[in-house]
Amino acid sequence: MRIVSDIIAYTARHMPRFNSVSISGYHLHEAGAPPALELALTLADGKEYVKAALARGMDVDEFAGRLSFFFGIGMDFYVEIAKLRAARLLWWRIMKDMGAQRPASLMLRTHCQTSGWSLSAQDPHNNIVRTAIEALAAVFGGTQSLHTNAFDEALALPSDFAARVARNTQLMIQEETHITGVIDPWAGSYMMERLTQDMADRASEIIAQADSLGGMTRAAESGWAKLQIERCAAEQQARVDAGTDVVVGVNKYLASEDEPVQIRTIDNTAVLETQKARLRQVRAARDEEAVRAALRALTDGARSRRDNLLFLTIAAVRLRATVGECSDALEEVWGRYRAATDGVTGVYGALWEGDEAWRRARAAVDEFASLEGRRPRVLVAKLGQDGHDRGARVVASGLADLGFDVDVGPLFQTPEDVARQAVENDVHAVGVSTLAGGHSTLLPALIEELRRQGAADVAVFAGGVVPPLDVEALHEAGVKAVLGPGTTIIDCARTLLAGIHAPRT
Amino acid sequence: MNAPTSEPERLSLQDELFEGVRGGSRRALARAITLVESTRPDDLPSAMALLEALHSFTGGSLRIGLSGAPGVGKSTLVEALGLHVVGLGHRPAVLAVDPSSAVSGGSVLGDKTRMKDLARSEAAFIRPSPSAGARGGVTARTPEAIELCEAAGFDVVIVETVGVGQAEIEVAGMTDAFVLLELPFAGDGLQAIKRGSTELADVIVYAKADLDAVAAAGACERMNDALSLLRPVSSAWRPRVVTVSALTGQGVAELWSELEHFQEALAAVGAIVARRQRQSVKRMWRLIDADLRSSFLGDSAVREQLAAIEEAVARGDMTPSMAANALLVLAGRGPG
Repeated sequence: MRIVSDIIAYTARHMPRFNSVSISGYHLHEAGAPPALELALTLADGKEYVKAALARGMDVDEFAGRLSFFFGIGMDFYVEIAKLRAARLLWWRIMKDMGAQRPASLMLRTHCQTSGWSLSAQDPHNNIVRTAIEALAAVFGGTQSLHTNAFDEALALPSDFAARVARNTQLMIQEETHITGVIDPWAGSYMMERLTQDMADRASEIIAQADSLGGMTRAAESGWAKLQIERCAAEQQARVDAGTDVVVGVNKYLASEDEPVQIRTIDNTAVLETQKARLRQVRAARDEEAVRAALRALTDGARSRRDNLLFLTIAAVRLRATVGECSDALEEVWGRYRAATDGVTGVYGALWEGDEAWRRARAAVDEFASLEGRRPRVLVAKLGQDGHDRGARVVASGLADLGFDVDVGPLFQTPEDVARQAVENDVHAVGVSTLAGGHSTLLPALIEELRRQGAADVAVFAGGVVPPLDVEALHEAGVKAVLGPGTTIIDCARTLLAGIHAPRT
Repeated sequence: MNAPTSEPERLSLQDELFEGVRGGSRRALARAITLVESTRPDDLPSAMALLEALHSFTGGSLRIGLSGAPGVGKSTLVEALGLHVVGLGHRPAVLAVDPSSAVSGGSVLGDKTRMKDLARSEAAFIRPSPSAGARGGVTARTPEAIELCEAAGFDVVIVETVGVGQAEIEVAGMTDAFVLLELPFAGDGLQAIKRGSTELADVIVYAKADLDAVAAAGACERMNDALSLLRPVSSAWRPRVVTVSALTGQGVAELWSELEHFQEALAAVGAIVARRQRQSVKRMWRLIDADLRSSFLGDSAVREQLAAIEEAVARGDMTPSMAANALLVLAGRGPG
């Protein structure tokens, strides 16, 4: 909160046309928050930022006009349009309550991005259409700016071709269709006005709930917000896996043959080396003494609450301090935030009650447990710079509902960390969820590290986004199986049990 | 200890684990804990043999039980305390227990995510375990796991558990010092005492003091007042109250020094030894109870009739005492 209010104060004074904060709901959306929850938590965040700025004595009209928002847009077409319309209504109310006078302060301006979660790895060209539909919803909803995803992003970082199609999707809406010539084209439609009102009512309720917990900071700190989202994510996944929610090409109308797409491949090792070399170069060429002094000033600023932290950070960065060094300087005073990880259980399984395949999978797990003397134990891990843990958490929750003991590792771990945790917890298997392209380097390193720590018998699995071309290499490196997008929890469980060394007889 | 000679490969497993645990191998300690937690009947002889062999190397730690409501910040405090004692040259082991689902039997074990730095420390060992149906938020084998950690050379063992149901009583019954974690803004001291678990606490910690220092100090004062009304568990020690912020590290050193004082004060009058002696005898009875119950439940005649008899009791067609007797007779145990 200190950082945000310093940014707001600094930009209001020195960079008056800069959008000081992008108040984001996109990460909530992608983590599994349905539209009303995403909307409510985002607005509650915004409210908290405004309160922080007011608490330091700023006038609301001095800065409110430069706050902007960022929402994710999924496939529920009408509802997403209603979400953006309700967002403007509610923000106007919130800012009125905060005493804002200027029209610009009352106006919600937003950026939108089409949903990455809605993209499928199967039959990926379908994603072009998905993105177009989502983009349309964002435009109908009145977004100020837009980011369209590339169709191959469920497989890899986008190729130039896929990125061009994504950009052209926007250009077509803007320049071929005349859709952008009308402001709020759905206004007056009974259906849309009703959806908007319902959305606003539902979101207001959730905002009131967050307020009753003492505001969004407390609500986030207590783990409440995260649990709300995770519950929805587990439910959503169960609905897709069960076929209740249709995803074309994934759980219905499957393509008869797999047509490979050209995707971008990245040489991780080369990227790492180049980046390291650049960092060395920067560090060698700067005035080390001055950098240290600037970083000390930043640490002192965090402690004393006197100087503006953005001012101090800019001073340090001008001297070529790195982002990592600046955040280290702040961490010295404040420590590092750690998300609560009490995962949800029971939600995924509840939707499968009575399903025959689910019952069989449970029985197989129980049988393993009675032969082995304990339940199958799996560590679900995240390696490297990859903060996307929705998949990992849903899988962990679903496997626990099937009777696995599931260890959940922290984000941003090294292969050494993961191997050690696998050893100490004595797991049967490690499942690495990889969504940021680090698999080719990190998984072989993990297998090597397990071997070094005497745990070569621990089975290693990969899940997440692994381009088809890399799968073979991972198998060769010793990965038992790669569980791509669309693998149901039941399939996961079956593959894990088959890959784990046979229970002792 | 007589291990069955018909299973030579089992013998070599426990020998291998013995060597490994004594030799400081993490992998061996981890597998030894798995072995003693195993529910396979044929693992029991090797587990017993291993514990027997290691017995003379156990007892050398300060055993700390730590409990509190969900979300109170147990793992964060355990990490701060663990790192603090590592800095003093100790070797802490943490046994973190997470509840297993009553429906599926599975569990999500996430404690280590909040102990990232301690999990990396060379001096420390952290083992999360599912409670797997045991009562009170500990595993059926936590006391044995404590001994294995001691045999591996860890001199501070912290048992961390969610404070629900019987957890506090269970944990206090297997450790030397019981630390109860509370939030400063939840209820006052008297109310806490009415809950009962406070009576067991040797140290009460008000966590997250950084969020509201005034509330923490106030809670601390009220708890001290309330405690003066209670009869302490041991005449050698009056329970202390400390406020801690694991985030800023404030109070962590103080908590540790209270625990050290506690250890000195009790050791001086032989109270730790006496406490452990009582615990060992109790433990024996617990194991007997558990075994009798499980062999009763394993009886084929009982298994066949159990559901029907339970239902008859529920409907009121049979009195509970009649039903108990009928089942015990079926198992060949009742007076008949």
